[in-house]
Amino acid sequence: MDERNILDHQFVVAAYTVTWVIQLGYLAYLGLKWRSEKRNAERKSRPAR
Amino acid sequence: MKKVLLTLFPLVTVLLMVQGYHQAIYVAPDDAMQGYVFRIIYYHVPSASVAFLFFFISLIGSVGFLAFRRSSPNRAQIADAWALAGAEVGVVFCTVVLTTGPLWGRRAWGIWWTWDARLTTTLVLWLIYVSYLLLRRFAAGPQMQTLAAVLGIFGALDVPIVYMSNRWWRTQHPAPVFGGDQDSGMKDPTMVHALLWNMLAWFCWGMLVLFLRYQVERRHQQYAAIEAREALEASA
Repeated sequence: MDERNILDHQFVVAAYTVTWVIQLGYLAYLGLKWRSEKRNAERKSRPAR
Repeated sequence: MKKVLLTLFPLVTVLLMVQGYHQAIYVAPDDAMQGYVFRIIYYHVPSASVAFLFFFISLIGSVGFLAFRRSSPNRAQIADAWALAGAEVGVVFCTVVLTTGPLWGRRAWGIWWTWDARLTTTLVLWLIYVSYLLLRRFAAGPQMQTLAAVLGIFGALDVPIVYMSNRWWRTQHPAPVFGGDQDSGMKDPTMVHALLWNMLAWFCWGMLVLFLRYQVERRHQQYAAIEAREALEASA
């Protein structure tokens, strides 16, 4: 592999990695939000003492 | 049935992702001009297409909210949840476009960024929807949803401008892959297949995330409605 190909490969890896970091990061944020909403709903449904 | 779909759809999406990756890296050939780095297109273009689609969903949701807000509050809330989900997931995909684009540009053109028509209008689109999300996050009061819906409609006006920008103004950005003139687009059918597989995969991924975001927002709306009712009862 010559230097040009190595650099090309690194840029493709960087682009694909950035894409997955953004997408999975957002999915994790949604998961946390979902859990927080679920907790709120459970707190509301619990009978008041 | 719903449970089967909820299990099957993520599984199909993952399989499509694997197939898309395989097509992009191992099946599609190098581009004659740009070589290996051209493979960034298989994530860049599908992300842009999905972002446009979700901004369109946000537009429909915003129009729906404004249409139903007086006559049918429940429908209006559903439309608003779709508007928010479309805008937020659209921003995520647009962020992918704005990060993979400069990486590709640095290698293909030797520069990270240029104030070319396509790049600039895409950045403006991203900024409009980020401001939409900031408005929803920090504004309070009954007018917030209405203001957000109006901003969402104005934001969507930029989508056709972004789409047409490299047809109207020929600058640094390459000609469109689909719907361009005879000289533009992909010539190799293997490349077209790889792009279509990735488009399908990212579309399914996007729909999955969009549905999840919609569900979270509906839960939030229901919780907020209960809280508002309790506050009213307490003050009465």
